[in-house]
Amino acid sequence: MSVRTSGPSRSTTKPRPIQGTGGRTAAIFLVPFFTVFLVAMIAPVVYAVGLSLFAEQRSGLGFGGAETVFVGLGNYVDVLQNDTFIAGFARLALYCVLYVPTLLGVALGFALLLDAVVAKARRAFQLLLFLPHAVPGVIAALIWAYLYTPGVSPIVSALASGGIQIDFLSVHLVLPSMVNIAVWEWAGYNVIILFTALQSVPREVLEAARVDGAGEIRTAFSIKTPLIAPALGVALLFTVIGSLQLFTEPKILSTATTAVTSTWVPNMWAYDAAFNRNNLPQAAAASIILALLAGLLSWVVTRFTSKGNSR
Amino acid sequence: MNLRRTSFAAAALLSAGVLLAGCAASAAPESDKPTAAENPTGEITFWSSLSGMADVAAAFNASQDDITVTFEEIPNAANGGYTKLSAAIESGTGPDVAGIEYVSLPGFAASEQVVPIDDLVSEDVLGEYSEQVRELVTFGGATYGMPYDAPPQIMWYRQDVLDAAGVEVPTTWEEFEDAARAVKAANPSAYLTSFFMNEPQLAPLSWQAGSKWFSIEDEKWKVAIDDKASTKVADYWQKLIDEDLVKAQLGFSDEWTADLNSGVVNGWVGGSWSASGLKTRTEASGQAGKWIAAVPPSWGDEPTGALSGGTSFAITENSENQAAAAKFLEYLTTNPAAVEARGDVGTAYLAFPGLNEVASKVAPTDYFANDIYEVFDEASSHVVGGWSWGPDYDITNTAMRDAVTTAPTLGDALEQTQSATVDGLDQLGLDVSE
Repeated sequence: MSVRTSGPSRSTTKPRPIQGTGGRTAAIFLVPFFTVFLVAMIAPVVYAVGLSLFAEQRSGLGFGGAETVFVGLGNYVDVLQNDTFIAGFARLALYCVLYVPTLLGVALGFALLLDAVVAKARRAFQLLLFLPHAVPGVIAALIWAYLYTPGVSPIVSALASGGIQIDFLSVHLVLPSMVNIAVWEWAGYNVIILFTALQSVPREVLEAARVDGAGEIRTAFSIKTPLIAPALGVALLFTVIGSLQLFTEPKILSTATTAVTSTWVPNMWAYDAAFNRNNLPQAAAASIILALLAGLLSWVVTRFTSKGNSR
Repeated sequence: MNLRRTSFAAAALLSAGVLLAGCAASAAPESDKPTAAENPTGEITFWSSLSGMADVAAAFNASQDDITVTFEEIPNAANGGYTKLSAAIESGTGPDVAGIEYVSLPGFAASEQVVPIDDLVSEDVLGEYSEQVRELVTFGGATYGMPYDAPPQIMWYRQDVLDAAGVEVPTTWEEFEDAARAVKAANPSAYLTSFFMNEPQLAPLSWQAGSKWFSIEDEKWKVAIDDKASTKVADYWQKLIDEDLVKAQLGFSDEWTADLNSGVVNGWVGGSWSASGLKTRTEASGQAGKWIAAVPPSWGDEPTGALSGGTSFAITENSENQAAAAKFLEYLTTNPAAVEARGDVGTAYLAFPGLNEVASKVAPTDYFANDIYEVFDEASSHVVGGWSWGPDYDITNTAMRDAVTTAPTLGDALEQTQSATVDGLDQLGLDVSE
């Protein structure tokens, strides 16, 4: 971890004067970003927070019209007391435990292999690995749902004729099946991140390792992997946040199996609250809870990985 | 993770846009109170997920010059049709007329997304409907939709499979169980029918057994989803599932279709609407003339029945030409020409008296080995009155789907659904009792 690379050294280029029109130039670059950010991110969040503090109250038998009343944190209390919402987090946690190590392991393995092969083959493998990521998530989930469904899937029937009876969509296997879809979808993307980091590992360090008698495998795990720890951290961060937003795969699979309910993960719970039960305030409260958790987790992950770096 | 984040942000933006637009729409001045004009004119829009409705709209346009209907097909409920409809109405871009199933109509009525039609359609017309059907569209003393169909719950069987197993069409649930056993004995890989885990037919089955999930008592909603009759039904089906006599699976899935075609599943606890779906699904494997319709088996000596699904047509709060919309609504639900125009794409059992004669002529009835409309008539005459879908069935629907999957038995699922429904209605501020 003590190896530090000095990038293109600053001292050779002339330092630019930091004065005069700097503020205005910065503004020109920043205003478009912040405008979009304000409209697309901040405004909806503020609106959702506002929405989550109110509730539609009907009275009597429910057909005399509804009035909107301020309930404070009432929606949050209701949501957090909801068993199915909480059960969604338990499933999500299990998913993360399975998915995050699998994805990063697979991606790291491929990246190291890519780094080891001759330059010509690299391009082709890189493209092949990235190809699944070019398939939109919904389409990928649909294709996999087809491949998992007994009675229509060629894979299931091939396995069955080989004497292996397996139901990928059963209660116990549906989670691993879902992890498989996500890994297929996202491995290539993470391979690119890790592979790019591997490219910047200084060659003299690798040569030194070789001179010291380390083989390819030893080099890969003892030299290269520690050196790309920051990139692994970034991949971990993206993966964890992405897992929290798990929606597409279970949503699609819920149409193919009973093992996935319409409120299977917190995001689906929020979707169901908003669009099936027409309870926008509860959906907003659920989304805010989810967003807070994502914020907290990414803080933990960045904290953890940057600490590892400075050591 | 870019894609996910972008789509998440996009969804957030989109929903925010919809919400903001919704606010703007509700802030806009309400359109003038509708007057039942004698000859309304203008253009109206019409959304439905029912197949063949484009032809009905076209036939209506051709039949007169005053009103022009523009039809748009929307996805069905399972594919987000009501999500779209609800969002569109909230943002002020909804249609004038929309098809809404009986189970979902109370939710639309309670949020005032659809308007009462008592001033728009004459009582002479509304009075023609049977009492049970009218109850399904009447909330708080106002009529919120025109009933389109009143599909009775119907059992569908493969006659040849029953014959091979040496059993008659079951008339009681006891006989039904025996028949399931016989089919299994004749062919170990075959099932008499499936139990849909995603669309559990527990509501019509409980209705048929004499339960009333929602009723009004002392100005309060009495919720009785886990009452005695319903629990009896749930336990019965749980037993069939446990003994592997029926196949628990996803209805309307690829797997189910494959099972129908390969003879693994030989029956369907469906409704009168099942006929056209059954035909399209099984036609390719040469099952023409093998299917029969039958009235549901009974629990006691007297045959009882229930409705299974069914759609009404309603006028949304977005409609600026309610008089024209009402005129089209009447054509759609009461005119024989509308039934004829829809043709053989659906096997609707219509709610308005006299229309089923026309329907039985245009429907693909010759695919079946018996006179299915005669069976529909009989099943329809047994329907137990007094059923209501309550003030907001969406809560129950979501809870039931979750419960059926997660609870150890169907009986437990009913209990879970009961408590989730009571909690949900309570949170809405309604007066509920158990």
